[in-house]
Amino acid sequence: MIIEGTKRTGDLRDRADVVVVGTGAGGGTLAAYLSDRGHDVVMLDRGGFFRAEDFHQREREAMGEFNGRRGMDTSDDNAIFINYARAIGGTTVHYWGDSFRAPHDRLERWRTEHGLDWMTPAALDPHFDAIESELGIHLAGESLFNDNNRLVRRGCEALGVEGAAVPTARVDCIACGWTQFGCAFNRKTSQLITTIPRVSRQGGRVYSDARVDRILIENGRARGVEGALLNRATGRPQGRFRVDANTVVLAGGALGTAELLLRSTADPVVGRRLYINPHYWVFADFGREIDNVGGIPTAYAVHEWRRERRSPSGEYQGGGYIMLCSHQQPGVTAAMLAETGAAHAERMSKYRQLGSLMSVIDEEHPGRVYLRDGRHAVSYRVRGIDALKAVDYLKNASRIFLAAGAREVWVPDIHSTVVRSERNLASITLRSVMPNAQFAAGSHLMGTAPLGSDPEDSFADPSGQAHRIPGVWVADGAALPGSVSVDPSLTIMAVARHIAAGIDGAAS
Amino acid sequence: MSSIDSTTTPSSADGSVPGGARLPPGIDRRGFLRSTAGGGVAIGLAALLPGCGREASAGAAAAGELRSLTGKEFEVARAAAEALLVGVPIDPSAIATRLDYELWAVGGAIEEDVRTVLQLLEHLTPLGGRLRRFTELNPTERLAYLETWRNSRFNLRRASFNAIKSFVYFFAYADPAMWAATGFPGTWPGRIPVGIPPIDFGEVV
Repeated sequence: MIIEGTKRTGDLRDRADVVVVGTGAGGGTLAAYLSDRGHDVVMLDRGGFFRAEDFHQREREAMGEFNGRRGMDTSDDNAIFINYARAIGGTTVHYWGDSFRAPHDRLERWRTEHGLDWMTPAALDPHFDAIESELGIHLAGESLFNDNNRLVRRGCEALGVEGAAVPTARVDCIACGWTQFGCAFNRKTSQLITTIPRVSRQGGRVYSDARVDRILIENGRARGVEGALLNRATGRPQGRFRVDANTVVLAGGALGTAELLLRSTADPVVGRRLYINPHYWVFADFGREIDNVGGIPTAYAVHEWRRERRSPSGEYQGGGYIMLCSHQQPGVTAAMLAETGAAHAERMSKYRQLGSLMSVIDEEHPGRVYLRDGRHAVSYRVRGIDALKAVDYLKNASRIFLAAGAREVWVPDIHSTVVRSERNLASITLRSVMPNAQFAAGSHLMGTAPLGSDPEDSFADPSGQAHRIPGVWVADGAALPGSVSVDPSLTIMAVARHIAAGIDGAAS
Repeated sequence: MSSIDSTTTPSSADGSVPGGARLPPGIDRRGFLRSTAGGGVAIGLAALLPGCGREASAGAAAAGELRSLTGKEFEVARAAAEALLVGVPIDPSAIATRLDYELWAVGGAIEEDVRTVLQLLEHLTPLGGRLRRFTELNPTERLAYLETWRNSRFNLRRASFNAIKSFVYFFAYADPAMWAATGFPGTWPGRIPVGIPPIDFGEVV
């Protein structure tokens, strides 16, 4: 059953074997796994419940309806747009469906550096297999490529740069172009249309518009959660709820989970690290109209520089990021450009000529999450080697577009940097990526309540259960010990499924 | 009540700023203005600027249907939109109205910050060598002034510029009235008929 909190007034009380806070990649996957095996599950999400018919694709309204803080959340110096969804289905409602398995080298790092013995292909591949099967994940075929994807592929091939079609979570996709505002046609296999309905049909209760304020802890052990039912139009509380459960799973995303834990506990590790995979964009003017409004945003990705390169003495020599093809509607595009006045209008008049790439930087320096006025705040600065990676990305992305035939490439910084040839690349420097010098974003939020064997360095033990609060589990991006170096969605699902198997095994 | 208004009743202020003025209660909810180097001084300046609080009160009284902004803040937002949107056929008042609504809806640090940025924009023109307030400049002068913020070596001013710029351009170009100018063909629902496979969500109440 799905219960829309916005339609309820007065107080509610429920009881379950497991209460899952958050309904996205981690929460949905875990809840369905447990529901399939007979556990009584309650799911809670602060966001609203929407169906395909509600996803009108208009960015003007969608930004406020489906995004956290109405699409206006930023790091605390306003330098980085923090992007996450607020809806049943969580971030899978607005993600692009990119579904990469965690690279083996990253699993090995987590296994050795964080004592996570099960972070191996042998342990995780069965989970990856199951999820890929359930969500219909497949390599993007030619019908999902728009011109932007094709041009990036052409540029990579011309340069001899490694890139590949992206594994994507969709079935019978019609390539309408605007998956980031919720799939209007039930083709992207988000949690909203896969795991959530199954939990609902199997007797689980899924509450929307339900903001969890506090974990209930009695005698040092979790006993449930409580919070407020919100009016979706105003965001104001209109009732209270309480769910009693001996297993409390936190899956509200790296920010939501951290915020709840910071409000409920004094755990010293929570929020200490936040990974976001900083995104920077370049735009390429091809001097002719291209299809940059159809297909899917990322049918093709550039992997050449995923692993950073260092000299024998340890000096950074390049890499440490992947690139994803990207396109946006005019409003977001306009907000990204740094020009003003007539120059801005002139650039926007070329909207249909623009190719675009975005970075997924595998950062070394995380930010942190803390509470301000009882709500999460993000401190994050792209610095040190991560700033060098950003500059290296801007240069290589420009090279790819030039090789693809772009007339010029725009680095959307306040210096109006334009690249027309290899010679211009020298103008891309650290000045381009200083805070608020160009639009930057983070949408891969991870690491705020990480798993690990060392209680001094991790929130939860390798099974996912909190070191210091029995009965609390974490199973979302917050649980990852660090950046995945690719889009983390599928890895979050696999980790959540592994944790669910542990909960199920312990119960039986 | 705006945070600037509240400087007249500093009973819950949480600290001092240069000059000994008390910070308004809203300071706790501030975001980048508090976190950015120089932000505390900027907030203090906003609190100390002659007439800032008085104008906010007068504006609020005249604002009528506004939900978040005072009348004066609305005028600053409208003036900024007018300056930024050169050759763009979108009513700057519509942008300011949308800003008012969005700030009301989101609340918290974002609302506090943007409102303070509007006040600083209006009153810090002398630091840029301009003797008149922002809303008293013509659109060309306003744009030049905004660009000094964009290009500033101080992160605080760049951050403040971005807060306004991003909002104005997003809501201008997200308006379907601009689709023709950009060549954006529009969204699919309602335009291109596509079947939607049904999803059985079970009972929904």
